[in-house]
Amino acid sequence: MAYRKKNREIRQQPDRRANRTILIRTLILMGIFGLAVFVPLFFRLWQIQIEEYDKYRELVADQQTKDSTVEANRGTIYDSTGTPLALSATVYNVQLSPKEIIQCQKEYQEKVENALKNDKDPPDYPEPTAQFIAENLAEILDLEVDDILARLAKENSLYEMIKWRVEAEESDAVQAFITENHISGIYLMPTSKRYYPKGSLAAQVIGWFNPNVGEGAYGVEALYEEELSGETGRVVTAKNGVGTEMLYWFEDYYDATDGDSLTLTIDATIQSFCESILKKGVEQFDVQDGGFCIAMDPNTGEILAWANSPTYDLNDPWGVTDPVLSAYLESVKNDPSASEEAYTQALQDTQLQQWRNKAINDTYEPGSTFKSMVLAAALEEGVVTESDHFYCSGSTRVEGWYRPIYCSETKGHKDQDLAKAVANSCNPAFIEIGQRLGAEKFYDYLEDFGFLELTGIDMQGESTGVIWSRDAFNNVNLATASFGQRFNVTPIQLITAASAVINGGHLMQPYVVSQVTDADGNVVQHTEPTQVRQVVSEQTSERCRAILEKVVDGGTGKNAAVEGYRIGGKTGSSETLKGEGHTIVSFLGFAPADDPQVVILLAYDSPKPASPGADVTAGGWYISGGNMAAIMAGELLENILDYMGVEKTYSATADVLVPNVTGLSLSSATSALKKNNLTLRTVGDGDTVTGQIPAQGASIPGGSEVVLYMGEEVPTDQVQVPNVVGLTLEQAQKKMEEAGLYLKASGATDYGTSTAYEQETASGTLVDRGTAIEVRFTDSTASGAGL
Amino acid sequence: MAKRKRDLTMEQQLARGPMDLPFLMLVLLLTGIGVVMVFSASYATAYYEGRDPAFYFLRQALFAGAGLAIMYVISKINYETFRWLSVFALGLAILLLIAVLIPGIHTDRADNVRRWIAVPGLGTFQPSEIAKVAVIMYFSARLSKRNTEKPIRLSPRSNLSGIVGWLDRIGFLELVPYGVILLIILFLMKLEPHMSGTILILAGAAAVLFAAGIKLYWFILGGGGAAALLLLSMQGYQSTRILVWQDPWAYKQDGGYQIIQSLYAIGSGGLLGLGLGKSRQKFLYLPEPENDFIFAIVCEELGYLGAAIVILLFVLLIIRGYWLAVHARDRFGALLVVGITTLLAVQVFLNISVVTNLLPTTGISLPFFSYGGTALMIQLAEMGMVLSVSRQIPAPRQE
Repeated sequence: MAYRKKNREIRQQPDRRANRTILIRTLILMGIFGLAVFVPLFFRLWQIQIEEYDKYRELVADQQTKDSTVEANRGTIYDSTGTPLALSATVYNVQLSPKEIIQCQKEYQEKVENALKNDKDPPDYPEPTAQFIAENLAEILDLEVDDILARLAKENSLYEMIKWRVEAEESDAVQAFITENHISGIYLMPTSKRYYPKGSLAAQVIGWFNPNVGEGAYGVEALYEEELSGETGRVVTAKNGVGTEMLYWFEDYYDATDGDSLTLTIDATIQSFCESILKKGVEQFDVQDGGFCIAMDPNTGEILAWANSPTYDLNDPWGVTDPVLSAYLESVKNDPSASEEAYTQALQDTQLQQWRNKAINDTYEPGSTFKSMVLAAALEEGVVTESDHFYCSGSTRVEGWYRPIYCSETKGHKDQDLAKAVANSCNPAFIEIGQRLGAEKFYDYLEDFGFLELTGIDMQGESTGVIWSRDAFNNVNLATASFGQRFNVTPIQLITAASAVINGGHLMQPYVVSQVTDADGNVVQHTEPTQVRQVVSEQTSERCRAILEKVVDGGTGKNAAVEGYRIGGKTGSSETLKGEGHTIVSFLGFAPADDPQVVILLAYDSPKPASPGADVTAGGWYISGGNMAAIMAGELLENILDYMGVEKTYSATADVLVPNVTGLSLSSATSALKKNNLTLRTVGDGDTVTGQIPAQGASIPGGSEVVLYMGEEVPTDQVQVPNVVGLTLEQAQKKMEEAGLYLKASGATDYGTSTAYEQETASGTLVDRGTAIEVRFTDSTASGAGL
Repeated sequence: MAKRKRDLTMEQQLARGPMDLPFLMLVLLLTGIGVVMVFSASYATAYYEGRDPAFYFLRQALFAGAGLAIMYVISKINYETFRWLSVFALGLAILLLIAVLIPGIHTDRADNVRRWIAVPGLGTFQPSEIAKVAVIMYFSARLSKRNTEKPIRLSPRSNLSGIVGWLDRIGFLELVPYGVILLIILFLMKLEPHMSGTILILAGAAAVLFAAGIKLYWFILGGGGAAALLLLSMQGYQSTRILVWQDPWAYKQDGGYQIIQSLYAIGSGGLLGLGLGKSRQKFLYLPEPENDFIFAIVCEELGYLGAAIVILLFVLLIIRGYWLAVHARDRFGALLVVGITTLLAVQVFLNISVVTNLLPTTGISLPFFSYGGTALMIQLAEMGMVLSVSRQIPAPRQE
């Protein structure tokens, strides 16, 4: 009974309606919570995981990976002999992590406390206080202590770069400091720095690496940026939510590809010859606007050297070191009326000026050097022959021009054959040659020699010349063009065309990069000499060489002569757009004349006249190509030819090597010396040669006298070099002989009017008896010479 | 000495019926997957906390084992027993909800939230977990006897008889006890405070009330009231949740971080996922990857397919639950199962909605998956109750 009662109370009572309600409502709930609410979840997940997958994958990859770059080494730039001209080395950025340093300081204090507690010795290195760190780093890195302290005060910072691109010496010292004092939080981050071991050498050709933008600026550094820079590598590592790398998780390494190396056609030695001759001329002739000097292999178009003035140190491209430019800057700085901005502007201008490669960016009037091309064209077309005669009265008239056109020799060259006309650089003669060619033909040759197109050289910023259009090329223009005036070409165009004249008629495409090699040494790109076209025939070219040799051998270019070498060339002087007092004096030279190995174009822009309107400089130099550029070109060519090992052609006075005759009998010594084109004088009366001056191996002019000591003591004293500047060859020779020295003459030595203008060893210098002293001669008497 | 079968009462025999195998299998499957996912999601956390990487996994596995044992034991109990047990369960729940507010009993937290009670050896548990099931049990027990409840009879002469009669007719008087219980619990939970727990208790209670046949307008009224309360409480902290929900990226530093990381995890999973154990977001990116946001890791590692399968398993479990409710032997069993099943469904839905930023963030864990030993044990105990009901299904229905 009790059970029943209890049961009734606890137990529910049958209720069909209630059961039905529950059934229906449960089914409703099942519809809602068993199905309906989950449908949006499937859609939502589909949206996030499938539709927006790419977006999230990218976001997550950004978040979860640490992407560090691995810098590629920039390729090296070599000269043609393998001398590095530009290379990269590892340097370090010094970085502080103040947060970690503070941690390090805390740890030190803890160690001290622990040591005190446990009665042990405290650490045996000093406490890494901010002051201690700052003082030491400042000393090592040559920084201000306060600056470093200020950086260290940024407690939460992890990266404070205190010095960029620190070299090995300093970075080693920092490393030692870190290790010795157990400091954590000072980092040396490797990076690279570009070095130019040769400083300013070939600055405009090489160009420089601008670390601020990470790219090459100017020259091949810029032009071959892609090849040199290589490909930056990446290390992608996983990191966790607080930025710690998880190396075990995954690591993707994309190798850095080191940059390719360039081998230039530039020869560092020839380049330095060119640069020093350029510099020498700029100083000697008071040159105001610098100059350029290009040396090229006429047979291949390889640029052997390419010098510009003003120039600069590639290791400090912003610094202005050129004397002319610095003087200008100094004048702006000291000008009280000039503002700060004016100075900044002047500095920028001078920087741009020193960076630019004049010989390709700028054009100039080629002047008489252009006559080489006119000559070649005329010979090729057969309108002139070597036997033709030209009469120069000092001026000539051209149809269509109201004034006579004057020759540089106002008195006139009178009658002259073709070679003489070229040697005289006679304008009326060339006007006539031009007329014979006719405007059409002449213009064809302008085109064929490449003056209307780019040479295609692998160098930045090549300009085209400024030349009349074919339609505008009338008779008057033809006349002025015949002697190289009233139109502009780039120096590189001129030397390329001139090469075609002398190399057998081949217009070559000039180039400066001969080879691109990858980091493993595989040749990626090799430049073969490319002929653009054949302009004149082999025979014509040969005839031109012969005629142009006469320019140096007795013509306007005689100052370029070098004993023992056959040099051909053409002088040039041309007015610039800057007007009065601004003349570009130039010399186009090649050697050996019969088989040219090198062609040079040397030009000085605007030697300063002694007074406005004067035709000489303050130094007394007559402003003309023949009296300035030719002299320098001679010295340059001699250096280059010596260096290239071009054999000297035998001549009576060519340098010979003194053989060893000591120990020989007089007769055999005599014959040995005679074989070497030397004479002798004896001192003493022994039978055997006991000593000789000069010693074996010395190089002295042929025909010189060797002193043989027959038993007598060889004098070992030194003698003073006499001053021979201003003397004629004979006088100088005599003076040298009197002093017990040999004269090694160069330049225009064959003319009675030549005088020595420079001696290699200054007067008063003590030298060994029998030394050969080089003296340079010039012939500056002929008026108007060298136009 | 065990009694032989024929010696047992009919009810005892009924209680020994077979468990519903599909439901059991789904529970076991979800528990198994859940424990594995806890291992995968927690080992980075454990590692960075300086613990054994399997620390959380081992604890969770242990609790899962214990939970399954408890489930089995509970399933063996004749669920009719829960009728009278429910009173004590409710009393205990209210006591615990009061106790958790007393300093010294609840765990100390920086944010002053008093939701957890520490039990030595077991870790912590939330009294609200017990309240959830207690409310369902009590409401089911009481509502299953609706038809026999005696209406309050006032003297027809009493002044109040008219209004009482009206209140009785519209069903208000019947709801008073439930309302009072819910208000007490709501009040206590508000003191903790524990918004998400409150929502779940209300959801469970509402499901039972709904299924029991309470008139729909009460739900409309109750829903309106709850919405008004929600709007009122939507000041300050709660309102920024809405803003974060609308555009987590705009509030990266102010609460958007977790949901952004969750979306990153889900989104980067793609169709097939990164593979089990290969989540990257668990490496200190996604906060608490083993807890409320474990489903994001499931999505990241198992992809859309894996996540869909997990949801599908839940859906099957829930439908099976309702199926059991429909077939339960009596109304109490039906209401009990409806309550538990709906609670589970709401919890799963809310958790995944939050993880996918379909709804603003609330701290609701994912049943069977989220790390938490006591919660898992209580969850499995609830499943045990459902299984207990399922044992009596083969018997003829009592009218």
